[in-house]
Amino acid sequence: MAIEAPHGASAHELAAAPTGERDPPRRYFREKVWLTWAVLVVLLCGGCYELHLDFTYVALKLPFLLGIRLSPDGFIQGAVLTVFVTGVSMFFALSVALLTALGRLSKNPLAFAVATFYASLFRGTPLMVQVLIIYLALPQIGIVLGALSSGLIALSLNYGAYLAETIRSGIMAVPAGQREAAMALGLPRWVIAWKVTGPQALRLIIPPAGALFVSMLKDSSLVSLMGLWELNFLAQSYARSTYRYMEMLIAAALIYWLLSIVFELIQFRLERRFGRGVAALGRP
Amino acid sequence: MWLEVYRSPGIGAMPIAHKHSPTGNQCVAGRLVKPAGVESNTAVNILTILLLLVVCSAPVRAGATLDRVKHSGIVNDVLFNSYPPFSFIDADNQLAGFDVDVARAFAARLGVALKLATPGWETIVSGRWQGRWDICICSMSPTDERAKVLSFPVRYYSSPAVLTVHQNETYIKSIADISGKRVGVGVGSSYENYLNKALVIPGVAPPAYPFHDVIAIPGDETVNFRNLALGPGVRLDAIVSDLATARASIAALHTLKIVGPVLYAEPNVVVTEKGDPEWDLTVSRTFDAMRADGTLAGISKKWFGQDITLDGH
Repeated sequence: MAIEAPHGASAHELAAAPTGERDPPRRYFREKVWLTWAVLVVLLCGGCYELHLDFTYVALKLPFLLGIRLSPDGFIQGAVLTVFVTGVSMFFALSVALLTALGRLSKNPLAFAVATFYASLFRGTPLMVQVLIIYLALPQIGIVLGALSSGLIALSLNYGAYLAETIRSGIMAVPAGQREAAMALGLPRWVIAWKVTGPQALRLIIPPAGALFVSMLKDSSLVSLMGLWELNFLAQSYARSTYRYMEMLIAAALIYWLLSIVFELIQFRLERRFGRGVAALGRP
Repeated sequence: MWLEVYRSPGIGAMPIAHKHSPTGNQCVAGRLVKPAGVESNTAVNILTILLLLVVCSAPVRAGATLDRVKHSGIVNDVLFNSYPPFSFIDADNQLAGFDVDVARAFAARLGVALKLATPGWETIVSGRWQGRWDICICSMSPTDERAKVLSFPVRYYSSPAVLTVHQNETYIKSIADISGKRVGVGVGSSYENYLNKALVIPGVAPPAYPFHDVIAIPGDETVNFRNLALGPGVRLDAIVSDLATARASIAALHTLKIVGPVLYAEPNVVVTEKGDPEWDLTVSRTFDAMRADGTLAGISKKWFGQDITLDGH
């Protein structure tokens, strides 16, 4: 809940949403958008057609790329493995990011230092290097991780560092007045965090966090370095073994794109869900 | 023969087993995270638990190779996922090729199950497998540098290095013409060492280097062949590779040709992690047996129409 001042100055500021009454009416906006999309898709398909792709070969490999079938050693593969790696890393990245964001907002110098050090280290080094260090260097101090664990840890830690900044900025962007007002009302701390600051911060966090997760979906292909048979690995292996590069690469790209669209739709839903309060204020 | 080795478990195995015990891991992980914070103790604890969960859920393999294979009944073989016709993923999504068939025959002979893994080539050749894998039947050449981190119990085939160019290439007629040219090689391959005039194969006289200032372009070998097929000098002028992979690429792309005589004979070895002589002995004896009864020759004829395993020993 956003706490409104009696003569809600902050509410009016927030009300300047794109759907505000001062905007000129957008005639057939949605239809025009769909039309443009259709034209662009047709152009893209035309471009692909010009490459003279062998679609029967793509159809042959599609069940493997999508991961409908298991890999030879009975493990998930292809797009299913990609989604699995992304999903699990997302969960851990969120946990790590939340802790790091709290550390960065903390008044404890040690927590602040650890959080900033971690965020700086993992944002300042390439993900690929991190993946290889976790996979190759940790064994030298006695920690031998499997390929999957290494990949999950690297992705979680890397994206956790980025996400921490997103979460921190979201929390900081909630006007201080909101918390002060809640305290004045005598609400307990956890209620303030859960019901006042949290939901308002989430509204600001969700769009950039969604973008990060879409990016993570594609970066999950780095775990192929360690021999995990995810989407990118399979596409490249098939491509190299049979010299059908374009077919396999375009098929993989399309699958990644479709998955990203699903992510974007989820993000859109969440955005609308947490933007309800502001949207309501925006109406006359 | 396998049973005979079983009766004498590796002596050198024990210290390694202790070093890599799961308890050791917990301590290390705990220590790494512990020093963080007084106030945020709960947070740190949660982080520690999360990390520990991930660390401990990972397979931790300990002990010498032979013991491990013996106890698990599985031999973990690593190879390359795109090195046709030696190892590649076939139409049925299975790993296939000469190396894969040799590995199958090897595991069958030992009476253990075969498990294949396909990590990046750099990961394999950099050694320090830490018990992740037991053996690499992966068309590796035994260079001096690799011998520092890996052990080569036995040679299993020999295939010469050759020079491949585009069929419209007019200038490059032999290896002496590649000076100043862009030549593709597999990343981390022995051919890269060759172009840098730094190839040392133990027990083999160094090859001649009748060229200078070659621009070596390391990359995936099949991608390199594809680039060469774009035309002479478009992205690459030539490729130095194994004869068998060159032939496979020529058959697939049609626009390439091998020029000049073979560059040097290249033995290919079975690779193990350093430090388990008994496992190495088992491996070499098993391969000797497979060579003696024609198993290797049969696999070679299936893939290449000729026996490339003859002078491997």
